[in-house]
Amino acid sequence: MLLDVSNLTVCYDRAMLINDVSLYVEEGEMVSLVGPNGAGKSTLLRAITGLVAWDKMTLKGTAEGDITLKGNIVFDGKDISKTPAHEIVRRGLVHCPERRRPFKEMTVRENLMSGAYLHMKKWDVQQELEKVFKLFPVLGDRLNQVSGTLSGGEQQMLAVGRALMSRPKLLLIDEPSTGLAPLMRKEVFNKILEIKNLGITIMLVEQEVASVFSMASRSYVLSSGKIIAQGKCSELLEDEMIRRTYLGL
Amino acid sequence: MIVDILIDGLIKGSVYALLAIGFSLVLGVARIVNIAHTALYMTSAYLIYVGTKMMGLPTIVSMVAAVFLTILLGLLIYNYFIRPIQEHEAAMLISTIAVAMMLQEVFLMIFGGHYLGVNPLVRGYLTVLGVRVTNQHLLALGLAIIVLISTRFFLMKTRTGLAIRATAQDREVANLMGMNVNGVAMITMAVSVGLASIAGAIVVPLVTVEPTMWMHPLVMMLAIVVLGGLGSLEGSFVGAYILGFSESLVVFMVPMGSFLKDSVALSIMILVLLIRPEGLFGVSFEEER
Ligand SMILES: Nc1ncnc2c1ncn2[C@@H]1O[C@H](COP(=O)(O)OP(=O)(O)OP(=O)(O)O)[C@@H](O)[C@H]1O
Ligand SMILES: [Mg+2]
Repeated sequence: MLLDVSNLTVCYDRAMLINDVSLYVEEGEMVSLVGPNGAGKSTLLRAITGLVAWDKMTLKGTAEGDITLKGNIVFDGKDISKTPAHEIVRRGLVHCPERRRPFKEMTVRENLMSGAYLHMKKWDVQQELEKVFKLFPVLGDRLNQVSGTLSGGEQQMLAVGRALMSRPKLLLIDEPSTGLAPLMRKEVFNKILEIKNLGITIMLVEQEVASVFSMASRSYVLSSGKIIAQGKCSELLEDEMIRRTYLGL
Repeated sequence: MIVDILIDGLIKGSVYALLAIGFSLVLGVARIVNIAHTALYMTSAYLIYVGTKMMGLPTIVSMVAAVFLTILLGLLIYNYFIRPIQEHEAAMLISTIAVAMMLQEVFLMIFGGHYLGVNPLVRGYLTVLGVRVTNQHLLALGLAIIVLISTRFFLMKTRTGLAIRATAQDREVANLMGMNVNGVAMITMAVSVGLASIAGAIVVPLVTVEPTMWMHPLVMMLAIVVLGGLGSLEGSFVGAYILGFSESLVVFMVPMGSFLKDSVALSIMILVLLIRPEGLFGVSFEEER
Protein backbone atom coordinates (compact mmCIF):
# COMPACT_ATOMS: atom_id res chain seq x y z
CA MET A 1 0.00 0.00 0.00
CA LEU A 2 1.43 3.34 -1.04
CA LEU A 3 -0.88 5.53 1.02
CA ASP A 4 -2.82 4.39 4.03
CA VAL A 5 -4.99 6.89 5.85
CA SER A 6 -6.84 5.72 8.92
CA ASN A 7 -9.41 7.41 11.15
CA LEU A 8 -8.60 10.90 9.93
CA THR A 9 -10.63 13.67 11.56
CA VAL A 10 -10.31 17.38 10.88
CA CYS A 11 -12.19 20.14 12.71
CA TYR A 12 -11.87 23.82 12.01
CA ASP A 13 -13.34 25.67 14.96
CA ARG A 14 -15.63 22.81 15.99
CA ALA A 15 -17.01 22.27 12.48
CA MET A 16 -16.08 18.70 11.65
CA LEU A 17 -14.91 18.87 8.04
CA ILE A 18 -13.47 15.35 7.89
CA ASN A 19 -15.14 12.75 10.04
CA ASP A 20 -13.20 9.57 10.76
CA VAL A 21 -12.09 8.90 7.20
CA SER A 22 -10.00 5.88 6.23
CA LEU A 23 -8.76 5.20 2.75
CA TYR A 24 -5.86 3.63 0.91
CA VAL A 25 -4.14 3.82 -2.44
CA GLU A 26 -2.21 0.95 -4.00
CA GLU A 27 0.90 1.52 -6.01
CA GLY A 28 0.23 2.04 -9.71
CA GLU A 29 -3.53 2.56 -9.54
CA MET A 30 -5.66 5.58 -10.18
CA VAL A 31 -8.20 6.24 -7.45
CA SER A 32 -10.82 8.92 -7.60
CA LEU A 33 -12.48 10.89 -4.86
CA VAL A 34 -15.85 12.40 -5.68
CA GLY A 35 -18.59 14.12 -3.78
CA PRO A 36 -20.74 17.25 -3.74
CA ASN A 37 -19.41 20.78 -3.22
CA GLY A 38 -18.33 21.31 0.34
CA ALA A 39 -18.02 17.59 1.03
CA GLY A 40 -14.47 18.06 2.28
CA LYS A 41 -12.53 16.63 -0.65
CA SER A 42 -9.99 19.43 -0.75
CA THR A 43 -9.72 19.46 3.02
CA LEU A 44 -8.96 15.75 2.94
CA LEU A 45 -6.11 16.28 0.46
CA ARG A 46 -4.85 19.24 2.51
CA ALA A 47 -4.82 17.07 5.61
CA ILE A 48 -2.90 14.31 3.85
CA THR A 49 -0.18 16.61 2.49
CA GLY A 50 0.36 18.50 5.72
CA LEU A 51 -1.38 21.76 4.93
CA VAL A 52 -3.97 21.39 7.69
CA ALA A 53 -1.16 20.76 10.16
CA TRP A 54 0.58 23.82 8.79
CA ASP A 55 -2.57 25.92 9.26
CA LYS A 56 -2.80 24.57 12.76
CA MET A 57 0.76 25.60 13.51
CA THR A 58 0.74 29.05 11.92
CA LEU A 59 -2.74 30.08 13.05
CA LYS A 60 -2.22 28.92 16.63
CA GLY A 61 -3.62 31.51 19.00
CA THR A 62 -5.59 33.45 16.40
CA ALA A 63 -9.35 33.56 15.87
CA GLU A 64 -9.16 30.84 13.20
CA GLY A 65 -6.61 28.86 15.12
CA ASP A 66 -8.86 26.27 16.74
CA ILE A 67 -8.00 23.32 14.52
CA THR A 68 -8.14 19.64 15.41
CA LEU A 69 -6.28 17.06 13.35
CA LYS A 70 -6.36 13.39 14.33
CA GLY A 71 -5.58 10.13 12.64
CA ASN A 72 -2.78 8.19 11.03
CA ILE A 73 -1.29 8.74 7.63
CA VAL A 74 1.25 6.26 6.35
CA PHE A 75 2.97 6.91 3.05
CA ASP A 76 5.38 4.48 1.47
CA GLY A 77 5.73 2.60 4.72
CA LYS A 78 6.44 5.61 6.92
CA ASP A 79 4.15 7.55 9.24
CA ILE A 80 3.86 11.09 7.90
CA SER A 81 1.16 12.44 10.18
CA LYS A 82 3.77 14.52 12.07
CA THR A 83 5.88 15.39 9.03
CA PRO A 84 5.75 19.05 7.92
CA ALA A 85 4.27 19.76 4.48
CA HIS A 86 7.56 20.73 2.88
CA GLU A 87 9.14 17.45 3.96
CA ILE A 88 6.21 15.37 2.72
CA VAL A 89 6.91 16.51 -0.86
CA ARG A 90 10.41 15.15 -0.57
CA ARG A 91 9.02 11.68 0.11
CA GLY A 92 7.21 11.77 -3.23
CA LEU A 93 3.70 12.65 -2.11
CA VAL A 94 2.84 15.65 -4.25
CA HIS A 95 -0.31 17.77 -4.15
CA CYS A 96 -1.51 19.71 -7.17
CA PRO A 97 -3.87 22.14 -5.47
CA GLU A 98 -7.40 23.26 -6.28
CA ARG A 99 -7.73 26.28 -8.58
CA ARG A 100 -4.30 25.53 -10.10
CA ARG A 101 -2.54 28.33 -8.25
CA PRO A 102 0.48 28.96 -10.42
CA PHE A 103 2.87 31.64 -9.14
CA LYS A 104 1.18 34.22 -11.33
CA GLU A 105 3.97 36.77 -11.48
CA MET A 106 6.58 34.20 -12.40
CA THR A 107 7.30 32.84 -15.83
CA VAL A 108 6.38 29.33 -16.86
CA ARG A 109 10.01 28.30 -16.50
CA GLU A 110 10.28 29.71 -12.99
CA ASN A 111 7.09 27.93 -11.99
CA LEU A 112 8.47 24.64 -13.23
CA MET A 113 11.77 25.31 -11.48
CA SER A 114 10.00 25.88 -8.19
CA GLY A 115 8.49 22.44 -8.61
CA ALA A 116 12.03 21.10 -8.85
CA TYR A 117 13.14 23.19 -5.87
CA LEU A 118 14.08 20.20 -3.73
CA HIS A 119 15.99 18.46 -6.44
CA MET A 120 17.77 21.25 -8.24
CA LYS A 121 21.13 20.35 -6.80
CA LYS A 122 20.94 16.65 -7.35
CA TRP A 123 19.47 16.21 -10.79
CA ASP A 124 19.77 17.44 -14.24
CA VAL A 125 16.72 19.68 -14.12
CA GLN A 126 16.88 20.26 -17.85
CA GLN A 127 16.15 16.59 -18.39
CA GLU A 128 13.12 16.81 -16.13
CA LEU A 129 11.95 19.87 -18.04
CA GLU A 130 12.22 17.96 -21.31
CA LYS A 131 9.99 15.24 -19.88
CA VAL A 132 7.36 17.78 -18.92
CA PHE A 133 7.53 19.45 -22.33
CA LYS A 134 7.03 16.12 -24.02
CA LEU A 135 3.78 15.74 -22.09
CA PHE A 136 2.77 19.40 -22.37
CA PRO A 137 4.35 20.88 -25.51
CA VAL A 138 2.46 24.12 -24.93
CA LEU A 139 4.57 24.80 -21.81
CA GLY A 140 7.73 24.49 -23.85
CA ASP A 141 6.43 27.09 -26.28
CA ARG A 142 5.55 29.54 -23.54
CA LEU A 143 8.57 29.15 -21.35
CA ASN A 144 9.16 32.83 -20.77
CA GLN A 145 5.55 33.95 -20.57
CA VAL A 146 4.34 35.24 -17.22
CA SER A 147 2.03 32.52 -16.00
CA GLY A 148 -0.75 34.88 -14.89
CA THR A 149 -1.39 35.58 -18.57
CA LEU A 150 -1.84 31.91 -19.55
CA SER A 151 -5.30 30.61 -20.35
CA GLY A 152 -7.10 28.51 -17.76
CA GLY A 153 -6.24 25.29 -19.56
CA GLU A 154 -2.60 26.26 -19.91
CA GLN A 155 -2.48 27.17 -16.24
CA GLN A 156 -3.80 23.72 -15.39
CA MET A 157 -1.14 22.10 -17.54
CA LEU A 158 1.42 24.26 -15.77
CA ALA A 159 0.13 23.26 -12.35
CA VAL A 160 0.36 19.57 -13.24
CA GLY A 161 3.72 20.06 -14.93
CA ARG A 162 5.04 21.84 -11.86
CA ALA A 163 3.84 18.99 -9.66
CA LEU A 164 5.59 16.49 -11.94
CA MET A 165 8.84 18.41 -11.52
CA SER A 166 8.74 17.36 -7.85
CA ARG A 167 8.98 13.73 -9.04
CA PRO A 168 5.86 12.29 -7.42
CA LYS A 169 5.33 8.68 -6.50
CA LEU A 170 1.77 9.58 -5.68
CA LEU A 171 0.17 12.63 -7.25
CA LEU A 172 -2.96 14.12 -5.69
CA ILE A 173 -4.80 16.30 -8.20
CA ASP A 174 -7.64 18.51 -7.01
CA GLU A 175 -10.34 19.32 -9.58
CA PRO A 176 -8.21 19.81 -12.69
CA SER A 177 -11.17 20.24 -15.03
CA THR A 178 -13.08 22.93 -13.16
CA GLY A 179 -13.72 26.02 -15.25
CA LEU A 180 -12.44 24.54 -18.50
CA ALA A 181 -14.29 24.14 -21.78
CA PRO A 182 -15.34 20.56 -22.67
CA LEU A 183 -12.59 20.06 -25.22
CA MET A 184 -9.91 21.23 -22.82
CA ARG A 185 -11.33 19.01 -20.07
CA LYS A 186 -10.95 16.02 -22.29
CA GLU A 187 -7.40 17.00 -23.07
CA VAL A 188 -6.58 17.40 -19.38
CA PHE A 189 -8.03 13.99 -18.58
CA ASN A 190 -6.05 12.45 -21.41
CA LYS A 191 -2.87 13.95 -20.02
CA ILE A 192 -3.65 12.56 -16.59
CA LEU A 193 -4.07 9.11 -18.12
CA GLU A 194 -0.70 9.53 -19.83
CA ILE A 195 0.85 10.41 -16.48
CA LYS A 196 -0.65 7.29 -14.97
CA ASN A 197 0.81 5.27 -17.80
CA LEU A 198 4.22 6.69 -16.92
CA GLY A 199 3.87 4.69 -13.72
CA ILE A 200 2.82 7.48 -11.38
CA THR A 201 0.07 6.61 -8.92
CA ILE A 202 -2.77 9.12 -8.96
CA MET A 203 -5.56 10.17 -6.67
CA LEU A 204 -7.94 12.38 -8.57
CA VAL A 205 -10.57 14.65 -7.03
CA GLU A 206 -13.25 15.60 -9.52
CA GLN A 207 -16.82 16.74 -10.00
CA GLU A 208 -16.89 15.33 -13.50
CA VAL A 209 -17.93 11.88 -12.33
CA ALA A 210 -18.61 10.27 -15.69
CA SER A 211 -15.16 10.99 -17.10
CA VAL A 212 -13.31 10.09 -13.93
CA PHE A 213 -15.10 6.81 -13.44
CA SER A 214 -14.10 5.75 -16.92
CA MET A 215 -10.43 6.27 -16.02
CA ALA A 216 -10.11 5.30 -12.37
CA SER A 217 -10.15 1.77 -11.06
CA ARG A 218 -11.64 2.53 -7.67
CA SER A 219 -13.41 5.45 -6.14
CA TYR A 220 -14.39 6.95 -2.82
CA VAL A 221 -17.57 8.97 -2.43
CA LEU A 222 -17.30 11.66 0.22
CA SER A 223 -20.26 13.54 1.64
CA SER A 224 -20.30 15.89 4.63
CA GLY A 225 -16.84 14.75 5.61
CA LYS A 226 -17.68 11.04 5.62
CA ILE A 227 -16.92 8.33 3.15
CA ILE A 228 -20.36 7.01 2.30
CA ALA A 229 -19.39 4.62 -0.46
CA GLN A 230 -16.29 3.09 -1.93
CA GLY A 231 -15.31 0.40 -4.33
CA LYS A 232 -14.81 -0.37 -7.99
CA CYS A 233 -16.21 2.39 -10.15
CA SER A 234 -18.34 -0.05 -12.12
CA GLU A 235 -19.95 -1.30 -8.92
CA LEU A 236 -20.63 2.18 -7.60
CA LEU A 237 -22.37 3.00 -10.85
CA GLU A 238 -24.71 0.08 -10.36
CA ASP A 239 -25.98 1.34 -7.01
CA GLU A 240 -29.08 3.33 -7.90
CA MET A 241 -29.15 5.31 -4.63
CA ILE A 242 -25.53 6.42 -4.93
CA ARG A 243 -25.93 7.18 -8.59
CA ARG A 244 -28.78 9.54 -8.04
CA THR A 245 -27.96 11.13 -4.70
CA TYR A 246 -24.23 11.58 -4.90
CA LEU A 247 -23.08 11.19 -8.43
CA GLY A 248 -25.86 13.13 -10.14
CA LEU A 249 -26.07 10.60 -12.97
CA MET B 1 22.83 73.21 -9.20
CA ILE B 2 21.43 70.68 -11.66
CA VAL B 3 24.40 68.42 -11.14
CA ASP B 4 24.02 68.79 -7.38
CA ILE B 5 20.38 67.83 -7.58
CA LEU B 6 21.17 64.93 -9.89
CA ILE B 7 23.87 63.46 -7.67
CA ASP B 8 21.99 64.09 -4.46
CA GLY B 9 18.74 62.72 -5.91
CA LEU B 10 20.50 59.61 -7.19
CA ILE B 11 22.11 58.94 -3.82
CA LYS B 12 18.89 59.56 -1.89
CA GLY B 13 16.91 57.50 -4.37
CA SER B 14 19.35 54.60 -4.16
CA VAL B 15 19.42 54.62 -0.37
CA TYR B 16 15.63 54.80 -0.20
CA ALA B 17 15.48 51.97 -2.72
CA LEU B 18 17.69 49.83 -0.47
CA LEU B 19 15.42 50.58 2.48
CA ALA B 20 12.12 50.19 0.64
CA ILE B 21 13.09 46.97 -1.12
CA GLY B 22 14.14 45.37 2.15
CA PHE B 23 10.93 46.49 3.79
CA SER B 24 8.82 45.19 0.88
CA LEU B 25 10.60 41.85 0.93
CA VAL B 26 9.59 40.94 4.48
CA LEU B 27 6.19 42.47 3.94
CA GLY B 28 5.66 40.23 0.93
CA VAL B 29 7.17 37.03 2.27
CA ALA B 30 6.13 37.09 5.91
CA ARG B 31 3.38 39.75 5.97
CA ILE B 32 5.46 41.69 8.48
CA VAL B 33 5.10 45.47 8.55
CA ASN B 34 8.45 46.15 10.13
CA ILE B 35 8.31 49.71 11.46
CA ALA B 36 11.65 49.06 13.16
CA HIS B 37 13.27 48.70 9.73
CA THR B 38 14.84 52.17 9.67
CA ALA B 39 15.70 51.93 13.36
CA LEU B 40 17.96 49.06 12.32
CA TYR B 41 19.44 51.33 9.66
CA MET B 42 20.19 53.75 12.50
CA THR B 43 21.67 50.93 14.58
CA SER B 44 24.13 50.18 11.83
CA ALA B 45 25.12 53.86 11.68
CA TYR B 46 25.70 54.00 15.45
CA LEU B 47 27.69 50.79 15.41
CA ILE B 48 29.96 52.24 12.75
CA TYR B 49 30.39 55.35 14.88
CA VAL B 50 31.34 53.15 17.83
CA GLY B 51 33.75 51.15 15.71
CA THR B 52 35.54 54.09 14.11
CA LYS B 53 35.40 56.82 16.74
CA MET B 54 35.34 54.93 20.01
CA MET B 55 37.27 51.77 19.24
CA GLY B 56 39.51 53.24 16.58
CA LEU B 57 38.90 50.45 14.08
CA PRO B 58 39.38 51.05 10.37
CA THR B 59 36.17 52.29 8.75
CA ILE B 60 35.79 49.31 6.43
CA VAL B 61 36.16 46.85 9.30
CA SER B 62 33.62 48.77 11.37
CA MET B 63 31.18 48.79 8.49
CA VAL B 64 31.37 45.07 7.83
CA ALA B 65 31.10 44.31 11.54
CA ALA B 66 28.17 46.72 11.91
CA VAL B 67 26.27 45.09 9.08
CA PHE B 68 26.70 41.64 10.58
CA LEU B 69 25.83 42.74 14.11
CA THR B 70 22.75 44.55 12.86
CA ILE B 71 21.58 41.47 10.98
CA LEU B 72 22.07 39.46 14.14
CA LEU B 73 20.06 41.99 16.14
CA GLY B 74 17.37 41.98 13.46
CA LEU B 75 17.07 38.20 13.64
CA LEU B 76 16.84 38.31 17.44
CA ILE B 77 14.10 40.91 17.19
CA TYR B 78 12.33 38.79 14.59
CA ASN B 79 12.53 35.72 16.75
CA TYR B 80 11.44 37.24 20.04
CA PHE B 81 9.28 40.25 19.18
CA ILE B 82 7.71 39.43 15.82
CA ARG B 83 7.47 35.71 15.18
CA PRO B 84 5.43 34.79 18.27
CA ILE B 85 2.68 37.21 17.21
CA GLN B 86 3.15 37.08 13.47
CA GLU B 87 -0.46 36.22 12.68
CA HIS B 88 -1.87 39.06 14.81
CA GLU B 89 -1.37 41.98 12.48
CA ALA B 90 -2.14 44.77 14.91
CA ALA B 91 -0.01 43.33 17.69
CA MET B 92 2.89 42.85 15.30
CA LEU B 93 2.65 46.44 14.11
CA ILE B 94 2.65 47.74 17.65
CA SER B 95 5.49 45.45 18.60
CA THR B 96 7.74 46.73 15.80
CA ILE B 97 6.91 50.34 16.69
CA ALA B 98 7.90 49.52 20.26
CA VAL B 99 11.18 48.03 19.10
CA ALA B 100 11.96 51.17 17.08
CA MET B 101 11.23 53.42 20.07
CA MET B 102 13.28 51.17 22.31
CA LEU B 103 16.30 51.43 20.02
CA GLN B 104 15.89 55.20 19.89
CA GLU B 105 15.80 55.42 23.69
CA VAL B 106 18.76 53.09 24.07
CA PHE B 107 20.89 55.23 21.77
CA LEU B 108 19.68 58.40 23.48
CA MET B 109 20.67 56.95 26.84
CA ILE B 110 24.11 55.80 25.71
CA PHE B 111 25.14 58.61 23.39
CA GLY B 112 22.87 61.49 24.39
CA GLY B 113 21.11 63.53 21.75
CA HIS B 114 24.36 64.76 20.22
CA TYR B 115 24.93 65.05 16.51
CA LEU B 116 27.72 62.60 15.83
CA GLY B 117 29.67 62.06 12.66
CA VAL B 118 31.84 59.46 10.99
CA ASN B 119 34.86 60.29 8.85
CA PRO B 120 34.49 59.73 5.14
CA LEU B 121 35.93 56.56 3.71
CA VAL B 122 37.64 58.47 0.92
CA ARG B 123 38.63 62.11 0.69
CA GLY B 124 38.92 64.53 -2.18
CA TYR B 125 36.51 65.46 -4.89
CA LEU B 126 35.88 65.31 -8.59
CA THR B 127 34.68 68.16 -10.73
CA VAL B 128 31.66 67.14 -12.76
CA LEU B 129 30.48 69.77 -15.26
CA GLY B 130 32.04 72.47 -13.15
CA VAL B 131 30.52 71.26 -9.92
CA ARG B 132 32.51 69.75 -7.10
CA VAL B 133 31.28 66.34 -6.08
CA THR B 134 33.07 64.63 -3.21
CA ASN B 135 34.49 61.21 -3.84
CA GLN B 136 32.58 60.02 -0.80
CA HIS B 137 29.29 60.88 -2.51
CA LEU B 138 30.33 59.05 -5.65
CA LEU B 139 31.45 56.05 -3.63
CA ALA B 140 28.13 55.98 -1.80
CA LEU B 141 26.26 56.08 -5.08
CA GLY B 142 28.39 53.34 -6.63
CA LEU B 143 28.05 51.07 -3.61
CA ALA B 144 24.29 51.53 -3.43
CA ILE B 145 23.88 50.67 -7.08
CA ILE B 146 26.12 47.61 -6.81
CA VAL B 147 24.11 46.34 -3.85
CA LEU B 148 20.83 46.96 -5.67
CA ILE B 149 22.03 45.01 -8.69
CA SER B 150 23.31 42.16 -6.52
CA THR B 151 19.98 41.99 -4.74
CA ARG B 152 18.17 41.69 -8.02
CA PHE B 153 20.54 38.97 -9.13
CA PHE B 154 20.03 37.12 -5.86
CA LEU B 155 16.26 37.25 -6.15
CA MET B 156 15.99 36.39 -9.83
CA LYS B 157 18.80 33.93 -10.40
CA THR B 158 19.37 31.89 -7.26
CA ARG B 159 17.48 29.00 -5.77
CA THR B 160 16.92 30.85 -2.50
CA GLY B 161 15.71 33.88 -4.44
CA LEU B 162 13.18 31.68 -6.19
CA ALA B 163 11.93 30.41 -2.84
CA ILE B 164 11.62 33.97 -1.54
CA ARG B 165 9.57 35.06 -4.53
CA ALA B 166 7.43 31.94 -4.45
CA THR B 167 6.71 32.37 -0.76
CA ALA B 168 5.78 36.01 -1.30
CA GLN B 169 3.27 35.03 -3.97
CA ASP B 170 1.63 32.05 -2.31
CA ARG B 171 2.89 30.75 1.01
CA GLU B 172 0.81 27.62 0.90
CA VAL B 173 1.84 26.54 -2.58
CA ALA B 174 5.46 27.33 -1.72
CA ASN B 175 5.04 24.77 1.05
CA LEU B 176 3.78 22.25 -1.49
CA MET B 177 6.93 22.80 -3.54
CA GLY B 178 9.01 21.67 -0.58
CA MET B 179 10.08 25.14 0.46
CA ASN B 180 10.44 25.54 4.19
CA VAL B 181 8.37 28.68 4.48
CA ASN B 182 9.51 29.55 8.00
CA GLY B 183 13.12 29.16 7.00
CA VAL B 184 12.53 31.31 3.94
CA ALA B 185 10.96 33.99 6.14
CA MET B 186 14.04 33.93 8.37
CA ILE B 187 16.40 34.30 5.42
CA THR B 188 14.26 37.10 4.01
CA MET B 189 14.41 38.91 7.33
CA ALA B 190 18.20 38.62 7.30
CA VAL B 191 18.39 39.94 3.74
CA SER B 192 16.02 42.77 4.57
CA VAL B 193 17.91 43.88 7.66
CA GLY B 194 21.13 43.42 5.74
CA LEU B 195 19.93 45.89 3.12
CA ALA B 196 18.89 48.38 5.82
CA SER B 197 22.23 48.14 7.56
CA ILE B 198 24.13 48.47 4.30
CA ALA B 199 22.06 51.59 3.59
CA GLY B 200 23.10 52.85 7.02
CA ALA B 201 26.74 52.12 6.28
CA ILE B 202 26.54 53.87 2.93
CA VAL B 203 25.05 57.09 4.26
CA VAL B 204 26.80 57.28 7.61
CA PRO B 205 29.71 59.42 6.35
CA LEU B 206 27.25 61.81 4.71
CA VAL B 207 24.75 62.41 7.50
CA THR B 208 24.68 63.19 11.19
CA VAL B 209 24.14 60.27 13.52
CA GLU B 210 21.53 61.01 16.18
CA PRO B 211 18.75 59.09 17.94
CA THR B 212 15.89 60.29 15.73
CA MET B 213 17.65 59.76 12.41
CA TRP B 214 15.33 56.80 11.70
CA MET B 215 12.16 58.88 11.49
CA HIS B 216 12.57 60.77 8.26
CA PRO B 217 13.69 57.68 6.31
CA LEU B 218 10.76 55.79 7.81
CA VAL B 219 8.25 58.33 6.53
CA MET B 220 9.92 58.36 3.12
CA MET B 221 10.11 54.57 2.98
CA LEU B 222 6.46 54.09 3.86
CA ALA B 223 5.46 56.71 1.30
CA ILE B 224 7.60 54.95 -1.31
CA VAL B 225 6.17 51.54 -0.59
CA VAL B 226 2.60 52.80 -0.81
CA LEU B 227 3.41 54.86 -3.88
CA GLY B 228 5.04 51.93 -5.65
CA GLY B 229 2.29 49.51 -4.72
CA LEU B 230 2.44 47.37 -1.58
CA GLY B 231 4.61 44.35 -2.06
CA SER B 232 5.94 45.33 -5.49
CA LEU B 233 9.73 45.45 -5.63
CA GLU B 234 9.77 47.31 -8.94
CA GLY B 235 7.35 49.77 -7.42
CA SER B 236 9.62 50.28 -4.43
CA PHE B 237 12.57 50.85 -6.74
CA VAL B 238 10.85 53.39 -8.99
CA GLY B 239 9.06 55.07 -6.09
CA ALA B 240 12.36 55.46 -4.26
CA TYR B 241 13.91 57.45 -7.10
CA ILE B 242 10.77 59.56 -7.60
CA LEU B 243 10.71 60.58 -3.95
CA GLY B 244 14.50 60.77 -3.72
CA PHE B 245 14.64 63.28 -6.55
CA SER B 246 11.66 65.25 -5.33
CA GLU B 247 13.32 65.53 -1.93
CA SER B 248 16.54 66.86 -3.48
CA LEU B 249 14.56 69.27 -5.61
CA VAL B 250 12.82 70.67 -2.56
CA VAL B 251 16.03 70.89 -0.55
CA PHE B 252 17.99 72.61 -3.30
CA MET B 253 15.31 74.76 -4.94
CA VAL B 254 13.28 76.04 -2.01
CA PRO B 255 15.41 78.32 0.16
CA MET B 256 15.30 77.09 3.78
CA GLY B 257 12.75 74.60 2.51
CA SER B 258 14.20 71.36 3.77
CA PHE B 259 11.54 71.15 6.49
CA LEU B 260 9.06 70.68 3.64
CA LYS B 261 10.61 67.46 2.39
CA ASP B 262 8.34 65.07 4.27
CA SER B 263 5.21 66.89 3.27
CA VAL B 264 6.20 67.02 -0.38
CA ALA B 265 6.88 63.28 -0.37
CA LEU B 266 3.57 62.56 1.27
CA SER B 267 1.73 64.90 -1.11
CA ILE B 268 3.14 63.07 -4.11
CA MET B 269 2.08 59.81 -2.56
CA ILE B 270 -1.46 61.01 -1.93
CA LEU B 271 -1.71 62.49 -5.42
CA VAL B 272 -0.70 59.20 -7.05
CA LEU B 273 -3.05 57.23 -4.86
CA LEU B 274 -5.97 59.46 -5.81
CA ILE B 275 -5.36 58.62 -9.44
CA ARG B 276 -4.24 55.02 -8.97
CA PRO B 277 -5.26 53.59 -5.61
CA GLU B 278 -3.23 50.39 -5.99
CA GLY B 279 0.00 52.37 -6.42
CA LEU B 280 2.26 52.59 -9.46
CA PHE B 281 3.06 48.90 -9.80
CA GLY B 282 0.46 47.51 -7.47
CA VAL B 283 -1.64 44.52 -8.26
CA SER B 284 -4.94 44.31 -6.50
CA PHE B 285 -4.33 41.43 -4.15
CA GLU B 286 -6.33 38.31 -4.77
CA GLU B 287 -7.24 36.47 -1.62
CA GLU B 288 -5.69 33.04 -1.80
CA ARG B 289 -6.22 30.19 0.53
N1 LIG C 1 -10.17 27.03 6.73
C1 LIG C 1 -11.44 26.68 6.90
N2 LIG C 1 -12.12 27.11 7.98
C2 LIG C 1 -13.40 26.77 8.17
N3 LIG C 1 -14.10 26.03 7.30
C3 LIG C 1 -13.48 25.58 6.19
C4 LIG C 1 -12.13 25.88 5.94
N4 LIG C 1 -11.78 25.30 4.77
C5 LIG C 1 -12.88 24.68 4.31
N5 LIG C 1 -13.90 24.85 5.15
C6 LIG C 1 -15.27 24.28 4.99
O1 LIG C 1 -15.14 22.89 4.89
C7 LIG C 1 -16.08 22.36 4.01
C8 LIG C 1 -15.41 21.47 3.02
O2 LIG C 1 -14.57 22.26 2.18
P1 LIG C 1 -13.73 21.64 1.00
O3 LIG C 1 -13.09 22.75 0.28
O4 LIG C 1 -12.86 20.59 1.54
O5 LIG C 1 -14.85 20.97 0.10
P2 LIG C 1 -14.72 20.33 -1.33
O6 LIG C 1 -15.32 18.98 -1.23
O7 LIG C 1 -13.34 20.43 -1.81
O8 LIG C 1 -15.68 21.26 -2.18
P3 LIG C 1 -15.53 21.73 -3.72
O9 LIG C 1 -15.98 20.59 -4.53
O10 LIG C 1 -16.47 22.87 -3.80
O11 LIG C 1 -14.12 22.10 -3.93
C9 LIG C 1 -16.81 23.53 3.41
O12 LIG C 1 -18.06 23.64 4.04
C10 LIG C 1 -15.94 24.72 3.73
O13 LIG C 1 -16.72 25.86 3.93
MG1 LIG D 1 -12.41 21.39 -3.30
